[in-house]
Amino acid sequence: MDKIEKLKILASAAKYDVSCATSGSQRESTGGLGSAVSAGICHSFADDGRCISLLKVLFTNHCIYDCAYCANRRNNDIPRAAFTPEELVDITINFYRRNYIEGLFLSSGVMRNPDYTMARLTKVVKDLRLVHRFNGYIHLKAIPGADDALIREAGLYVDRMSVNIEIPSEENLKYLAPEKDYNSVLQPMHLINEAQQEYLPVRRNSKPAPKFVPAGQSTQLIIGATPDSDNQVLRLASNLYTENRLKRVYYSGYIHTNTSDSRLPALVAPPLKRENRLYQADWLMRFYEFRVDEIVDDTHPDLDLELDPKLAYALRHPEIFPVDIQKANLHTLLRVPGIGPKSARLILSARRYGNVSSYLLKKMGVVMKRARFFITCRELGGRKAPDYQPDHLRMMFLDKSARKLTPDTVQLKLF
Amino acid sequence: MINYQYDGTFPGFLSAVFEIWDRGRFPARIVPPEVAPGLFEETIEVKTADDRAGRVWKGIAKAGGKQLCQRLMHVFLSRESGVEDLMLFILRQLFDNKKNVAGDLSVEEVLRFTQMERKVLREVHRLYMFLRFEQTADGTWFAPVSPKYDVLPMTLNHFESRFSDQSWLIYDTVRKYGYYYDAKVVEEITIDNPAFDKETGSLPLEAQSADEQQWQQMWRSYFKHIAIKERANPRLQRQFMPKRFWKHLTEKR
Ligand code: SF4
Repeated sequence: MDKIEKLKILASAAKYDVSCATSGSQRESTGGLGSAVSAGICHSFADDGRCISLLKVLFTNHCIYDCAYCANRRNNDIPRAAFTPEELVDITINFYRRNYIEGLFLSSGVMRNPDYTMARLTKVVKDLRLVHRFNGYIHLKAIPGADDALIREAGLYVDRMSVNIEIPSEENLKYLAPEKDYNSVLQPMHLINEAQQEYLPVRRNSKPAPKFVPAGQSTQLIIGATPDSDNQVLRLASNLYTENRLKRVYYSGYIHTNTSDSRLPALVAPPLKRENRLYQADWLMRFYEFRVDEIVDDTHPDLDLELDPKLAYALRHPEIFPVDIQKANLHTLLRVPGIGPKSARLILSARRYGNVSSYLLKKMGVVMKRARFFITCRELGGRKAPDYQPDHLRMMFLDKSARKLTPDTVQLKLF
Repeated sequence: MINYQYDGTFPGFLSAVFEIWDRGRFPARIVPPEVAPGLFEETIEVKTADDRAGRVWKGIAKAGGKQLCQRLMHVFLSRESGVEDLMLFILRQLFDNKKNVAGDLSVEEVLRFTQMERKVLREVHRLYMFLRFEQTADGTWFAPVSPKYDVLPMTLNHFESRFSDQSWLIYDTVRKYGYYYDAKVVEEITIDNPAFDKETGSLPLEAQSADEQQWQQMWRSYFKHIAIKERANPRLQRQFMPKRFWKHLTEKR
């Protein structure tokens, strides 16, 4: 089988991994090829609109396991392929030299056993760094069950390492992938986190010290393959951020590929809307200082699909509004629908020079269509926001697309 | 109101600034060469003088810092109509009122200045994203570009550090100049009789290295297979990757 054919199979097999970020790592050029830019660069956008930043492939789609939700499971009758380390290095370098990519995102099915697979992956990243002096970005999957020493070695050559949890609760993981358990996934995560902490103090020395996974780790959760609630999903994510210091949690709407497996729901389309709401909630936790229990809890276990979670929060908490633009602190400003982290900081710096008008707010990027119901500023008076009626606002802010789908509007159009 | 008309170059702009303060006359405007002067307005044609421009440049650096110099340069590259007014506003505050207002976003002009700078920097970033090299038969890597603003010079550091061990040529097919890097130094060049396609900048087959087509084919195949069909979203794709870049993109050509 030639390289082109292998690439076709192993790219298709890798496409369900949604992570694409290349941020958070700065690698100066050291005379070899490449550099990593800390902000990250997308080089193209695929037909599904997703960023293409890294050459995202599997080393092989052979697998000894049989996870129900995975296209590469042992019992699927599909074309299989495996790269040699040399082929993969060659493709990476040639794509990089043409400015197609920022680097490599390498994952794999489990061939023979976890140690064997992990050793192959490590050989690829080691050759790239040591033989070809490649300074581009490398994101490597750690293979659960592989020897600690192998994972530790690979960590010295890569920018990011990740282990996918995939199923948001252990009981459902065991149902769909009886050969797996949470421990096998969480254990390498702890290991990476630990090793990162060990290498940290070394980095303060003036001489260049080895870095261990400098861009941190990430994981992915599949949404909609199991009945797990958003509460379950987001609490897990929140724990991963705080306890294992993950940089990113990705959410991937389940796509019904293994149609013959009755343990899986026969979704006609991936739950993209829910996925989107989860990303919004995730942003609230990472950049808006929201705690997870402010977004979902036992009484509201699932996100409102028709309303973004920040607005939903505002409507549940009329007592904190309206917010005074001239006085509110950052934490409070960030809670106002229509104000983002950027504009919140602009407000803080602009109001030192005087009053902030609604015109200026607009210029700063505040979405006044939303924000005006929740703030007071110079001309929007000190009135106690009479427009503030949660039910009324809810109707107003319902996603246009969501409204279109309701039978009522269809009827209106008909008559 | 006096119009100081300059030649459209950055030193020309700085020379105009010099003259305004030299003559001590406000109200004044600096206008680009393509603007026709109004019937009853006085218009002075500014001669570009490098020594004067240099003095102004140093003056700005001293009063406002290197960063302000850089920001003015970025905004100038936008070539949007009215940039001269915004720049002059900031310089007037700096020289006459001894205030560097460039950070005060509550001032309308500064906000617009900042927004224009952002547009220019975005174009720089898009070159980082969408530039594509093809390997020529002699081993040089060639990339045609056609950015909205004249930002190619601003990208050189990035490409030099990233592709430091390969010789490359990046060419602006609209402004008809480019930079050649021989794996040691970068120099500006122009090409009189280009062998590449004038519109897309692509190389004819005989000018390409032996395996160039194979790699391009692999990239196109990768591009096609990495997309999830169930999530096709051409609108989003176009939004992130505007059509004007497609003619240079291997995967979209
Ligand atoms: S171990 Fe990974 S590749 Fe193998 S079947 Fe399970 S999810 Fe798929």
